[in-house]
Formats: sequence, structure tokens, C-alpha cells
Amino acid sequence: MTARTKLQGLATAAGFALALFVGGATTASAEDVTLHMAGPDWPPMRIMKDMFDKEYKPASGNKVTLDIDFIPWPDFYTRVNASLTSGEKKYNMAVSDSQWLGAFVEGGYFRKINDLIDADPDLKKAMDGMHPKVLNAYSTYPNSTPNFYGFPQFPDILVSYARKDIFCNDEEQKNFKAKYNKKLPCTGEEFDDIDWDLFGNIGEFFQRKKGDMLAGKPADDDFYGIAFQVGKGYDFSTTSVHSFVWQAGGDIWDETKAPSGHAEGQVNSDVAVKALDHMLSFIKYMPPVAKTGTMDIFKSDELFREGKVALNVDWVGLGEASLDPKTSKVSDKLIFGKAPGTKGADGKVNRSSQIGGQPFVLTTWNTDIINKEAVGFIKWWLSKDVQMEYASKGGQSAITEVYNDPKYVTLRPWNRAWASQLDDQKDMWHVPQFFDLLTQQQDQYDLAITGKQDAKTTLDNVAKYQEKLLTEAGLIK
Amino acid sequence: MGEATSIWEKLGFRKASGVSEAGWGQTLFAGIISLIYFLPVLLIIITSFKLQTEALSIPPKFMPTNLFGLIPDAYVFSPTLENYTSVFSRAMTSGGAAENTGFDRYFFNSIMIASVSVLLALVIGTLAAFGFSRYPLKGNDTYLFVILTTRMLPAIVVIIPVILMFRVTGLSGSYLGIIMLYTAFNLPFTIWMMKSFFDELSLDVEDAARLDGSSGLKVFFKICLPQVLAGLAATFVFGLILTWNEFLFALLLTGIDTRTVPVAMSQAVAGGGIGVLWGLLAAIETLFLIPVFFVTFFLQDHLLRGVTFGTVKR
Amino acid sequence: MTSTTAQTIPTTFTTVAPDNWKLAIVVGLVVSLLACLILPPNISFWIVGAMVAMVAMTFVVNAYHRHYYGGLLVSPAIAVLVVMNIFPLLWSLGLSFFAYQSNQQTIRFVGLANYVKILTDDLKAPENWANLTNTAMFVVLTVTAQMIVGFLLALMFAKQFPLRKYLLILVLTPMMLSVVAVGVFFSNYYDPTFGLLSYFIRLFTGEQFILMDNKAGAVAGIVFADAWMWSPFVMLLVLAGLVSVPKYLYEAAAIDRVSGWRRFWSITFPYIRGLLMLALLFRTIEAFKMADLVILLTKGGNGTMTISYHLIRIANEQNKTSEGAAISYVMLFIVIVLTNLYLYIANRRTEGA
Repeated sequence: MTARTKLQGLATAAGFALALFVGGATTASAEDVTLHMAGPDWPPMRIMKDMFDKEYKPASGNKVTLDIDFIPWPDFYTRVNASLTSGEKKYNMAVSDSQWLGAFVEGGYFRKINDLIDADPDLKKAMDGMHPKVLNAYSTYPNSTPNFYGFPQFPDILVSYARKDIFCNDEEQKNFKAKYNKKLPCTGEEFDDIDWDLFGNIGEFFQRKKGDMLAGKPADDDFYGIAFQVGKGYDFSTTSVHSFVWQAGGDIWDETKAPSGHAEGQVNSDVAVKALDHMLSFIKYMPPVAKTGTMDIFKSDELFREGKVALNVDWVGLGEASLDPKTSKVSDKLIFGKAPGTKGADGKVNRSSQIGGQPFVLTTWNTDIINKEAVGFIKWWLSKDVQMEYASKGGQSAITEVYNDPKYVTLRPWNRAWASQLDDQKDMWHVPQFFDLLTQQQDQYDLAITGKQDAKTTLDNVAKYQEKLLTEAGLIK
Repeated sequence: MGEATSIWEKLGFRKASGVSEAGWGQTLFAGIISLIYFLPVLLIIITSFKLQTEALSIPPKFMPTNLFGLIPDAYVFSPTLENYTSVFSRAMTSGGAAENTGFDRYFFNSIMIASVSVLLALVIGTLAAFGFSRYPLKGNDTYLFVILTTRMLPAIVVIIPVILMFRVTGLSGSYLGIIMLYTAFNLPFTIWMMKSFFDELSLDVEDAARLDGSSGLKVFFKICLPQVLAGLAATFVFGLILTWNEFLFALLLTGIDTRTVPVAMSQAVAGGGIGVLWGLLAAIETLFLIPVFFVTFFLQDHLLRGVTFGTVKR
Repeated sequence: MTSTTAQTIPTTFTTVAPDNWKLAIVVGLVVSLLACLILPPNISFWIVGAMVAMVAMTFVVNAYHRHYYGGLLVSPAIAVLVVMNIFPLLWSLGLSFFAYQSNQQTIRFVGLANYVKILTDDLKAPENWANLTNTAMFVVLTVTAQMIVGFLLALMFAKQFPLRKYLLILVLTPMMLSVVAVGVFFSNYYDPTFGLLSYFIRLFTGEQFILMDNKAGAVAGIVFADAWMWSPFVMLLVLAGLVSVPKYLYEAAAIDRVSGWRRFWSITFPYIRGLLMLALLFRTIEAFKMADLVILLTKGGNGTMTISYHLIRIANEQNKTSEGAAISYVMLFIVIVLTNLYLYIANRRTEGA
């Protein structure tokens, strides 16, 4: 007897265990239905759960429980991805970034919902009543085809966050007018007209050293005019770059034109290179952390809330923190307007912008009864009154009759800018190669942002990589 | 060494044997170095008493009191315990009512999972280490190396098979599963560490005991273990610290009921539609530090007592 | 030492005896097979488990009868490791020879293609090499820093002095912190606007100080945080060795008037050599896996991308399970060569001493 034979014995047994790794069964009784859902731990999800617990009465008469696994945002993808791909079959529903659709649909995890929509006139009405741009980004795969998967959970849009006390100061107004011969915007409506030129002027104008006069008082610390996301993490520079490229009339690799569309020549077109250069030109006006490549949506928001920045472009999803005096030093001096756009040769401002937010989806292993109760819940969730209440508590709704309601814009100070930008929203890619495309270009953009590479080389590298990757995947022919 | 009891020993400070003495000069020197070393932790603890609006102030507010006007107001913050109550109960939506955050549960889970798995690893690992040290197998070094190898790969590589295994056995989300996993996670270090202690022991005493007719068991418990107490203490501390803060397995293999603090902690990093909640994160970290801090502190006695042959010769 | 009296107990194959492991294996195999075929997996798994336990028990009884203590003592540890660690490791080793993405249902055998791809592909290979070089740089810098700082701290605490235990616990605290908190708070300390580092430098220069906008600064920032966190680990190991030096050796040395330096090399060092080696070994292994601090401090920007972070992106974000497994086994190979080198040198020293 040696230890080796012992090991071999164990290995054999482990081999048997291996042979067993095939599907497990889930059961649900007719009366008690639990919908297991994976959701990020943030207010829009907490509100959803809270409203469900307090208000939802299933029409079927079953006792339905919504069991949300609240997962902190930074680890949300890791957890959901591991759960789905390991075949754990733990969740019946999951919140998903719209760009994750392709990978999880192709893998057979997210359920196509066309049959559910067709079978239920109420659900169909709700889906038809949604803003088409949002529906297209959040629900269709392949993108822009009538194959539906998701329902909006929180439609997020970039807006301008501005400081009233700085922008409306008479002294600053006068000096700005004298220097640039432009009116320094002071109201939300004036900010709605903002373009990148004015944005750049603001960035240059409000660069103040500690002790310089700022809005009639000496600044207690260095102060900066502008900030927006240019960070290496997740999509924190892609979002900005795409908006600049789209607004300049360029384009990223367009998944709806596959397989005839190309990345080479499009991603690195002269227009795109100019657009990237345009974006990079603003970094010098931003707080210095931008130069380290870690200026993400949270950092720019924090700088704004701490009163170090006059104007920040960020998601409305982060807005509540700015409004709350407990987390914000500027809570009583906020102006919200549209995100800046690029003024074209015809004088019109193009505000095409990367959409944010998340849909939620159903998974493929749900039993009929789970699907039935899930549809019941979703219909209730997408109904006008419920969406209106959700919006009043801090959510956003993509349902036309909700955001067109005159009351809607009064619910939150950013809602006016939010609703008026819906038509400008675009989404990047939903193909399974999303993370490949994203991480590579994030790395490349980071090199440009931290000043290690020029715009042309950056986009050439991105185009070359995408062309190769997508050709191998059969998406470019 | 002089046998006169110093005032410190009367006050209950144990004098370690086997190490030389140094005076207050050494205390001063070590004190300065230690405080500098501790500074980043101290700043975290201070932050835990600050409101979010004061946490990032520049110049840094590091004093909870102005010491009767000695410290300029710019450096003084108004201390609050709000972060500590927020750890366990706070509004999770803006304007919502305060609700249980689940952290009481997460703390219990962390303490339970870490202590059980580390003790288990210590028992199993010490036995194995003794085996490897005193009864070498054929290919002893190979076994030891293979054991070490299991620590060499990033956890992300083995996570998918582990999840599958847990799913089939129903261990996913259970205490048993994560405890077994952490036990395995701690074993390599425990075995190597304890083996190196056993290897350093002089064999004469053991052999003499064996000749006197002591059983292998008795030799192990009466002669070998007392000599490696410092090693056991150190190994326990290391195991506890590593397990206490383990993140990836905990993220993927615990359910909402068995979740541990390191996973839930990210709630304060970018949860709630806001970036870092500095005070809250600091409060969680400070609370989370306390149990392992005190366990380490009380095990220090064993760690620092040292081994002299006096204890063995009897 | 090993008192293995090789007396063979006369059991034939069919005897039902608690030490008849051959029969146990056969019975175990048959029952397991039947269970797998008839019962649902979540039940049959436990039956297989019970069979494994039965076989293991017969081994134990057999070994006990034969006074095979070494095997008995190590078997629980080996069993836990095989189930929880080695089995998943072998699984992922197997996957590295397939074309498999965890988010797709297809799997195809491709032999060494994954390894060829990561080592020679014109886009992937340079990236992998760059990440590997960065990792090597981090390993060298942070392990060196930890060994030096940890060793010096241990020497400082090796003597008995008033308040020692209260000061020692302060130094031990950093490694008790969660790496998430360390990363987040250090990114704050390094922040040009809010950070203490920038604040203190600014008191002298009047300018905001940006540490992390170049490779040297970013690497220094990460290494500092990592070494700060883990030097106490080295210190504790060395200290455990230092206090275990028998007092009478020092007393003898004092009588012989041996110089401090020689006393260290001839008395102290042999007692801590094994522990120093262990510290070096484990810190090197951990440093190779460095990813958390990089993610939290730089997201891999400014030339701080490590192979382990790359692996997380490949294996987790992009679900390229096979490619990730291949990279990790190349990495494992390097670590194995390195650790063997350590152990070889250490053993040669032992023999030379």
C-alpha cells in the first residue's frame, strides 16, 4: 500500500463525481412562486423591490415572492457571469448591461421574449409604448432586429451637472463675456444649448489656483472648469469617445451593418481621429487625476460634489448623491442641462450620445409558471402608474406616456434634460465579442489619455484589432 | 539575565525568554517606527468618525477636537458615530426609511466561516506537517511541492470547476462548502509552516522519549507540540488573516445568507449610485478589523514567548 | 524513526475486513456506477462520496495495522486538497487543450493550439509578454521590499522592551485589512486633489503632486501599498524564528565572546533560514498573483498591467476559459521553475552549512 494507490483511489472517485455534473432540477409549487433575480445593489433596484413587496398583487392568485440578490456594483458582472456560465441556473431574472446581451443570448442564457409579448396584449402594449431608441438598445439582439430580450430597469442618460453659484455670478458672467464674447450659461435651458466649444471655454476660464478669486471669494483649493469620464475602467472612456465620434459624423464599427461593414477605415477615419483629438484637448482643463487614467464616472462625480469642478458631464443615475446635502457640498446650487454636443457646419448641434442604464431579462431555464408570474410582474412594473411612482422615488422610465406626462419633469431637476435627450441616444455593440472590443479600446484610449500615444496611432490600433477579431468571428467578411 | 522583577512584569507584561533585553530607548525608537507604519490605518479609523462631507477635506481634518484652541479649525472635524450605525441600518434609497443592511449577518458569517476553517486547517495541517517531517513518504518532497502548487494559480482559473462541483453537491451558498474550500485554501501554508517548525526541533528528546516507551501520540502531544506553540500561533494568525479577507470565492460561492463582509463591503465602494462612501467604508473596515486585531493581540503572548529548552527538559 | 514493521496481514481478496482496501475499491466502484446510472446526480454524488469515504477508511485501517503513520497523518490533508484544489486544477488543465468559452455550449479539442496562440499570436503574444515582464518587475520590487522591511522590523522587535506587544500589534495591523479597503484608501492618499501625499508635497512645492501619471510613479504607488500591507507577514515569520532560538546558545556565545555579526550568522540565522525561505516562497507566489491592488489603483494603466489581472479579464470578463487556462499554466510553469530554483538553492545551502 502506498500513498500513490491511495491518491489513485481518490482520483477514480473524483472521476465518477465528474461524470455526474449534469443539470439539476428546479421545482416550483403552483401556489408559491419565487422569482430569483440578480440585481445591482443601488437605489433603482431597492425601489423596485420595495414597491413589489408593498404593492404587487399577482392576478393569478399565486403567492409570488421577488427574491433579489443585491450584489454590489463593482462585482456585479463577475458574480452574474460566473453564475450564468457555470450552469448554476440560480436566477430566473437578471439585470444586464445592454451590451452583455449578445454574449448571454448566444450562450443560451437569456430568453427570447417575442412569444411572451405576442401572447399577451398588455405586455405588447407596454413594449410598443416604450421609447424606440431605448427599446432598441435594451432589448434587441442582433441589434435593430425584431428579436426582443430585455425590459428597461433604469434608462440612464448623460447630462451636464453645473454649479449655479459659479455660473450665475455677475463678476464671472461679465469676465466671461469680455473674454469669449459668449454668454456664460446660467439656467438649465441655457445649458441645453451648450456645445463643446463653449464647454472648452468654460474649462479654460474656470481654471483657478488656490487663492485666486472665484465667484467673488478666494478659492480655498485649486478649482477646475470641467470634468467628464476619461478613465481606464469598464467603459469610462469609450462612452466619451463614442459620443465625440458620433457627433463629428464619424462612426464606430456598426454591428447592424455586419458582415459587410468594416472596422478598418471607419474606426480610424480622419473624422474619428479628429474627434478623439477634440476629446483629448479637454483633459488639460480637468482636475489632474484625469492624467492618471482613473477619471471614471465616480471620480468626476466626487470632484463635483466636493466643489472642485464647475461643470461635470455624468449619468443621471448618480444624481441623487449630488442632491443630498449629506453627500454633496453643492446640493443647493445645482443646474442640470443637456450634455454638450458638437456644432456642425450647418450650425446645428449634434448631441448623439452613448446610452447608459440597464435592462433586465428572463433566463432560459425558467419553468412555465415562473415565466407566467414573471410576465405578470413585468406588466405591472411597466404600467403607467407604477412607472410614475418609480420615477417619483428616483427611477427613470422609458415609457412614452410616463416621461411625456407634464408631472414627470418636476420629479427630479435633471428629468427635463433627461427626457429631451432620449432621441439622441445610441448604443455601441451587443455582439458576444463586446468585452473583447471594449477592453482593447479602453487600453488604447488610456494610452492616448495619459499622453503616451497620439490619436491616429490609437485608432489605427483599435481598428486593426477589431478588424482581425471580428473577421475571425465571421462578423466582417 | 538579571532575575529582579521589573515594574513591567509586576504590571503583567510578560517577559519573553530567549530574547535579549533592551530599554526604553528601544521603546521610543520602535514606537516612532510603529506609529509611522500604522498611520495609514489610523487615517482609516479617523475617517470612520467623519461625515461624508468632511472625509475628503483638504487640508485634512485629522483631529476630533481643537484641544482648547491649539489646533486650527481647518484641521478639526466633528466626530460622529453615524457611520457605525449606518453599517447596520440605513436608508438604501434616497428619502427611504432606514432598513437593515444585513451586515450583522455578514459579520457573523465572516467570524464563523473564518474561525472554523482556520482551526480545521490547523488541525489537519499540523498532523500532515508532523507526518511529512517525521515519517517521510516515498517522494515526500514531491507531495509537499504539489501541495504548494495549489496556491500558485489565481483563484479565477479554478473557479468554474469549483462552482460546478458546488452546484451538483448543493454546497453552493452553504456554510459547509465555503468552509471546506477555505480549509483547503489554508492547508498549503499551514503544512509548510508547521513542517518548518517541526524540522527545526532537536530529535534527541523525542528519541529519548520513544526509547522510554512513549507512544508516537504522546511524543507528538507532550514533546513536539509544546515546542512549536509560537509556530501554531503564527500559523493561526496568518490563516485567519488570509481567510478573513478572502474575496473571490466568497463572492461567487456564498449566497445572500452566507455572504461575508469583504464581499458586502463593496457596497460602500461604488454602491448606491454614488462613488466611495468614505466614512461608511472606513467604519466597516474598522469594525471588521476588531475581531482579528484582538485575536492576534492575545495570541502574541504565545508568539513572543519563544521556545527554550527549559520547557522541554522539565 | 519510521517504525514500519512490514508484517503482512493474511487477508484474501474476498475477506470482508476493515482493512481490505482492494475489495472496498471494487465494491465502491460498482455501487458508484449503479448510483450514477439510477439516481439523480444530486443524490448519487453523496453515494459516491460515501464510497470514497469507505475506501479511504479501509486504507486508514490498513495503514494503521501496518504502522504506516506517515500516510495516516497526511491523508486527511491530501484528501481535502484533492477534492477542493487539485481536482479543479486538473479540470482547468484539461480545458486548456480545448477550444472552450464558458459562455458557449460548444467544446472542441484543439491540442496545444491555445498555448501556441498565447505565445506566438502577433497581437496577443506581445501583450502577454509585456504583462509578464510587468509582473516580474512587481515580484522583484515588492518581494525585495517586503523581505527587507519585514526583516528589519523583526530585528527591531526581537529584543524585549517595555510596551513591545502594544507596538508590535500596530505594525501587524496592515495585513489584517481587506485589500479592497487598502486599494480604495491608498488611491485616495495618492489622489492629486484629495490626497495626503499631494497635500504634504504641496506644502513645499506649492504645486499639486500627481504620483500615478507615469509608469515609475504608478509602480511605486502599487509596490508601496503592497509592501506596506505584507511586510508584517515576513516580519511575523522571522520573529517567530528569532524568538525560538534557545537562550542557552546566546549565553554560550556570550561566554565565548563571539562578535555580534558572527553570533547572528552562526546562531540566529540557522533558526530563521527555513522561515525566511518560507516567507520568500509564499510572498513570491502571492506577488505573481497580484491583481487586486492594480485594479483598484490604476486599472492596469501606465504600464502596470499584470498577467494575473490580464487573466481575470480573459477568463472572467471575456469568458475565454481555455485561453485563460493556457495562460495560467504557462504562468504556473514559470512559478514552479522559480520556486524549485529557490528550494534548490536553499537545500544546497543547507548541505553546505
